[in-house]
Amino acid sequence: MRRALFILLRNPLSLIGIILVAVVVLSALSADFLTPFPADRGAAVHFELANQPPDWPHIFGTDLVGRDLFSRIIFAYRISLFLGVVVLAIAVPVGVTIGLVAGYFGGWIEFLLMRITDVFLSIPPLVLAMSIMGVLAPTLTNGMLAVTAMWWPWYTRLVYNLARSEKEEGYVLAAEIIGASKPHILFREILPNCVPAILTKMTLDMGFVILIVSSLSFLGLGVQPPTPDLGSMVAEGAGYMPDSWWLTVFPGLAILFAVFGFNLLGDALRELLGVEQ
Amino acid sequence: MIVLIGVSMLIFAIARVIPGDPARIALGPNATAEQVADLREKLHLNAPVVVQYGIFLRDLFHGDLGQSLYTNRAVTTDIAQFLPATLELVFVSGFMMIVLGLPLGVLSARYRGRWIDTAIRLVSLLGVSAPSFVWAVIFMLLFAFYLPIFPIAGQISDTIKLPAVTGFVMIDALIAGNLAAFFDALRHIILPAFSLALAGIGQAARLTRSSMVETYEKPFIEMARSYGFMESRIASHFALRPSLIPSLTVIGLDFAALLANAFLVEQVFAWPGLSRYGVQVILRKDLNAIVGTVLVISAMFLIVNIVVDLLIAFINPRIRLSQRPA
Amino acid sequence: MTSMAKTLAAALLAAASTITLSATQAAAGGVLRLDEVPVGELDPAKATDYADSMLMFNVYDTLVVAKQGEAGLVPDLAESWSVDGNSYTFKLRSDVKFQSGNPLTADDVVFSLKRMQAVGQGLSYLFTNVKDAVAVDPHTVRFDLKMAYSPFLAALQRLPIVDKKLVMEHLGKGDGDMKDWGQAWLSTHAAGSGAYSVVSHNPQQETVMKKNPGYFIKIPEAAPDEVHLRYGLEAATVRTQIPRGEDDITSQWLPPEVLKSLAKGGAQLLHEPGGGELYIKMNTAKAPLDDVNCRLALASAFDYGTAIKMVAITPTVSQGAPSTGAIPVGMLGALPKDRAFKHDLDAAKSYLAKCKYKPSDFTLKLSWIAEVPLEERFALLMQSNFSEIGIKSEIVKVPWALYTEQVTKVDSTPDVSQVFVNAVTGDPDTLLYGMYHSTKTATWQSSEHLSDPKVDALLEKARTENDPKAREATYVELNKLLVSLAPTIYAYDNQAVFAASNRVKVPALSDSSKEFGLPGMGFTFRLMEMTGN
Repeated sequence: MRRALFILLRNPLSLIGIILVAVVVLSALSADFLTPFPADRGAAVHFELANQPPDWPHIFGTDLVGRDLFSRIIFAYRISLFLGVVVLAIAVPVGVTIGLVAGYFGGWIEFLLMRITDVFLSIPPLVLAMSIMGVLAPTLTNGMLAVTAMWWPWYTRLVYNLARSEKEEGYVLAAEIIGASKPHILFREILPNCVPAILTKMTLDMGFVILIVSSLSFLGLGVQPPTPDLGSMVAEGAGYMPDSWWLTVFPGLAILFAVFGFNLLGDALRELLGVEQ
Repeated sequence: MIVLIGVSMLIFAIARVIPGDPARIALGPNATAEQVADLREKLHLNAPVVVQYGIFLRDLFHGDLGQSLYTNRAVTTDIAQFLPATLELVFVSGFMMIVLGLPLGVLSARYRGRWIDTAIRLVSLLGVSAPSFVWAVIFMLLFAFYLPIFPIAGQISDTIKLPAVTGFVMIDALIAGNLAAFFDALRHIILPAFSLALAGIGQAARLTRSSMVETYEKPFIEMARSYGFMESRIASHFALRPSLIPSLTVIGLDFAALLANAFLVEQVFAWPGLSRYGVQVILRKDLNAIVGTVLVISAMFLIVNIVVDLLIAFINPRIRLSQRPA
Repeated sequence: MTSMAKTLAAALLAAASTITLSATQAAAGGVLRLDEVPVGELDPAKATDYADSMLMFNVYDTLVVAKQGEAGLVPDLAESWSVDGNSYTFKLRSDVKFQSGNPLTADDVVFSLKRMQAVGQGLSYLFTNVKDAVAVDPHTVRFDLKMAYSPFLAALQRLPIVDKKLVMEHLGKGDGDMKDWGQAWLSTHAAGSGAYSVVSHNPQQETVMKKNPGYFIKIPEAAPDEVHLRYGLEAATVRTQIPRGEDDITSQWLPPEVLKSLAKGGAQLLHEPGGGELYIKMNTAKAPLDDVNCRLALASAFDYGTAIKMVAITPTVSQGAPSTGAIPVGMLGALPKDRAFKHDLDAAKSYLAKCKYKPSDFTLKLSWIAEVPLEERFALLMQSNFSEIGIKSEIVKVPWALYTEQVTKVDSTPDVSQVFVNAVTGDPDTLLYGMYHSTKTATWQSSEHLSDPKVDALLEKARTENDPKAREATYVELNKLLVSLAPTIYAYDNQAVFAASNRVKVPALSDSSKEFGLPGMGFTFRLMEMTGN
């Protein structure tokens, strides 16, 4: 453990990653105390302050109804992280289970499951989520649903490949010979050997979930206002360039900051756990 | 093929459950109940979904994707009009991805652990870390507004008139022998294509680096070194080739992802491609157009991946040989 | 982004038969570039919104058009007309030729009406009361109505005359004698007699038009030789193109901030008096807004002054003007300016005390249309206004397609929703009948679900009344009744504001004596002057 920490901290890029992620997570958690105008996260209006460039006390400027942009960005982090955690908490178990089953059992089960997975994989993820969001009202829950629906196949693919090679390994054959139950073999024998790969992918995906959710809301199909959301902030602000540049630049950089952090951390983990790409 | 049919079924099912009656939306608020009923009948909306799907397949077989309720034209006409612009954008950024991403990866691997490596890794990671629309917005602000080097938006200046031969503006300009138009179009495409390519460049560079690093550790490189080959020759002749395979696979996937991300970039740069059409038809519940658009994009996605597979087979003699009948 | 605003606000554009252009040092012609939101519908039987209207009124002509500088109608293709009970007879000009060279006759008028009715889209509902049209002789046409319908003359501004012979040569696939009535062909080709002919048309991108040299009225030299109407430019693009002279007139759907920066950068602001309002609709068929006192409480709590400030561009030009009731100021039946609504919290509180529901018992759903981002700000404003009298609310963003579905049922209709509505013929009937008559099917226009016998009776009386004075009195009475019933918060009278480069002069959009009293009419290209800059 200590060795792991040492390796992580020695590489400057990993260190930056840890710091960025820590900043994002901590600021999201303590948004209520940290932000100067916590009430601006919701439907507050201060029309007399509308559309002000960055200045004290609104260090990132104000939006079109006068809300503090900095406060809204920090609160948007909270929503994004929450979304990321929920999406992965649903998509990973589903995708992993399907992948294990398909990879281990083979035959028609494999054919059926993997063709379904292929169908999902061959629609560009954003387009698939867009279609789903077209069906549902654009709420937080539905946003999670749409993103989850496009996320599980990637884990299925990953675990399927791992499971297929693992099932030929001696320890699996041994378990089969002593008559271990199928669930035991799947989840107790094969799964643990897939964990490093899954974990690395999850860290990287945390960033990508933030990215895809913001892309969806950029197209107007994501999180519902007045809930602060980075993607919709960029989209809305884009119409007011170049005069009100702060409306779109700061939320854009905020996305970059968070996703960059998770990517660096994911990279570090990959090296640490020796996962191949 | 099976996958494509699956895609069509999935999208068809999704499109049918989007709330809102397409007939009413198409006819507007003042349509009478009879008019709505008539149109519903005409569009077979009252038939069971399975029957609707059957009709759709039958028409598809005849190259007919139906009428768009949004533009009142055939969906195939609409797609044929908007697809070339999207493809032009995607091809140019795919090109950027390869010519910038691969060399950066090679450089990074060659100088592994040195500052140049760290810098390239950092930059490529930054590229991967922001959605293409954020880059689009930032580049537009910097290089079109503050430093007006590039045009703000569009595909070509509207003072230039070109006969549409292929629908690809840059190719049409060359066909017409109009170099000024070609360079004008080139100036228009650089910012959107680069914003779109950035993530892919990063991805390609990272992958090339890691597979090259792996290859460098293989015995045959040691061997080459011991024969006294120059480092640059080792890089380009021995290390690069086997490293290309994983990079190409991922570039193939990325290339397909470009198609989807093009939606975002087109939105920012008002690029006359499929994006605005796609978003509008979803909002207006234009069933035929939704199904048609998604189907075409997915087909492109699959085609690109098949091409990549063939390319890999071409590069890797082992795969090539194993597929040859004995 | 703003395409829905376009669909919501359908407007009228017409040509005046008198031209009074001061001969400035205007250089001849030139190219005029405009932008609008997609789609540009070229088939005149399907035209509904602003871009469609711009196309229709420049490419086609109508029997009558609106007067310039004052209310009323003047002849255009018709030389004169007479009314006999429910029959209207028009004498046509004999010197009009279509762009194809075919002469325009009574037969074409009859064909145009039949086609409009058969296609059954766009504004065809304006002509459901027409029983028949008869070509009495080549230059006389008679319309027989099923019943008295006083808005008919105004509706004729929405009946563009198409070239029958040309259309018959291009019928597409379809059942029956008339096949598709030429729909496929007319969606990409024009068959009109208008001052401009279509060079190319792409409904998503651009329509290019050029002067029609054979037009029956002389087109001034200074009018643009060529017009490029482009669809779907982003606000940021327009923002940079206007100062560079790459775009000449913007659409009216730009947010106030963008118009503000354009004006600051030296662009001229063109404006058009409203033919519509921002209607904040309350669901009168569902608790708690089925109680008139609760509705009046909301209507008094709404901050009208701030709403107008939010859409102000300069101290003198704003996208909104104070509203006095259901009919915008300037239209038949409008209430006088001194009756403008005011933000009155005391009144709001006393109404609320009389309401049978307590504010603690409900949370209002305030919806806004996803495609019209400006509405989010009004939703936020309402939420803060209503909380001042203790009413809780939540804001819901609804895509247009979903909204049109929700409003068909009382239960799914949001408590409060916002819609911009314009009168397509400039007559209050087209504005109010569909909105408040209880027999109209529930649509986005009638999401109040109002059912009031007195309102119904007045609406019917007004549309069968032929005497203008009596009609006006009826509409004033109806207007006052609606204000007291408060099914709707009449937020502000909508004013279209456009930014324009200095390459063009548009008297009809800047000089009140040249103004048409109706939205869209100012875009008659032949009345514009290119300055040669």
